[in-house]
Amino acid sequence: MPIKTQKIIGQVVFVMLAFYLDGLMKWSFLNNMNKSSFTIVPQLMLMALVLLTMRIDNRRTILIYGIVFGLIYDSYYFGIIGLYTILLPLILVGVDHYKFLFIKNTVGYELSIYFLALTAMQSGIYLLERLFRLTTSNFGDFITYVLGPTLLWNVVVFFILYVPLANLSDWLVKYRRESK
Amino acid sequence: MQKFFSNKKLIILMVIIIVTFGLLAVSVSVRDKKQTPPVVQQVGNDVVSVVGSVFSYPTNAVKNVSSEFSDLYNTYAENRRLKSKIEDLAQNQVKLKVVQDENKKLKTELNLNSTLTDYESVNASVLTRSPSSWQNYLTINRGQTSGIKKNMPVMSGKGLIGRIIEVDKVSSKVELISTDNEINDKFAAEILDDNKTDVTGVVSRFDNSTGDLVMENVNSVKGIKKGQRVITSGLGGRTPRGLYIGKVYGIKKDNYGMTNSIYITPAAELRNFTVVTVIKSTVRGEK
Repeated sequence: MPIKTQKIIGQVVFVMLAFYLDGLMKWSFLNNMNKSSFTIVPQLMLMALVLLTMRIDNRRTILIYGIVFGLIYDSYYFGIIGLYTILLPLILVGVDHYKFLFIKNTVGYELSIYFLALTAMQSGIYLLERLFRLTTSNFGDFITYVLGPTLLWNVVVFFILYVPLANLSDWLVKYRRESK
Repeated sequence: MQKFFSNKKLIILMVIIIVTFGLLAVSVSVRDKKQTPPVVQQVGNDVVSVVGSVFSYPTNAVKNVSSEFSDLYNTYAENRRLKSKIEDLAQNQVKLKVVQDENKKLKTELNLNSTLTDYESVNASVLTRSPSSWQNYLTINRGQTSGIKKNMPVMSGKGLIGRIIEVDKVSSKVELISTDNEINDKFAAEILDDNKTDVTGVVSRFDNSTGDLVMENVNSVKGIKKGQRVITSGLGGRTPRGLYIGKVYGIKKDNYGMTNSIYITPAAELRNFTVVTVIKSTVRGEK
């Protein structure tokens, strides 16, 4: 098997693991169903995809990842197609478009990009769901009870997991041209 | 006109917007109207859920262990409380058996095949929960092949937790009663009380701040006291009669002082369970 295919399989497995972890984390310890004033939404898949996007040079690959994983996410978790399917590729292409501004990947840069991507994602989902009457909560409640806790939790997790995840995605993306 | 179509970015933006709203509108209407999603989506969801069960069984095992520890902590107090109840239980079980037999005989005398209280149940284990702010869905590992259909009620050990919203071949989605959704998720309910006042209503809302269920469209509030039990009434045909929902917590008037809402503390703990029961009503109501 050529090394490139192996790396792509590795990337897909990495993102799928993050995909399952999203649901399992929500189920196992962010499961505030009885008193649900604060809602935390784990977004590890977005984290994995942002880290990969910062390292992959090919925009087409990024776009395909966004659409495919967005479709799976929508179908499996939401039952409504169109939320992640559209927002995820848009955000990833946006990250890809502006990543030339950063000369070197450091934790600060990547954290701020993940923060922006997460904000865009949650706000986009809120707007679309509000438009289709899937939620009735108003904008102030959304910021206080959903966006704030979600950002806080995910940023803390990103900070803790940064070193292993960044090294892993470095290893998953880079390979020597000669060994092709 | 030619200049407009030569602007590639504008066209891409336009196409994206059209596709977004098209996809969303179609999938929302499919979810609300049809019994099952398109076959491609079903198969996709099943593949993902089968692979995902590899991860969810260990998670559920850990979850069970952790809830066992918290149980262990409460054991002494609970044991004392249960000992006082256990004497009644044996007597009640015998009585229930006799009454059930009698009920069966009377039904055959009357040529009644099934009534609102008859149901069968299917057990399923929870695979995952949607990482979403407003769509409170659980994915369970039973689907069409186990005879599950859309809109069947779902119980955890103690009480009602929600309703089936999407059925795939070997998995399905449960919408929890805590979901903030205007359209679905209403249960016809009644309040059990000794005076036979027949208070009925619809459990239609979930109060996020207090964690209570809200029963609206109540016909009267005469004789309702805190602590009375609320069950499904079986009216409407989708849900059998006699599923336990919770206990009355209080009564509130709406902003205009016109109608009463009854606040219910849900019986199901909605947190520490890994197995759910899907209820199949044997009476088919109107669709």
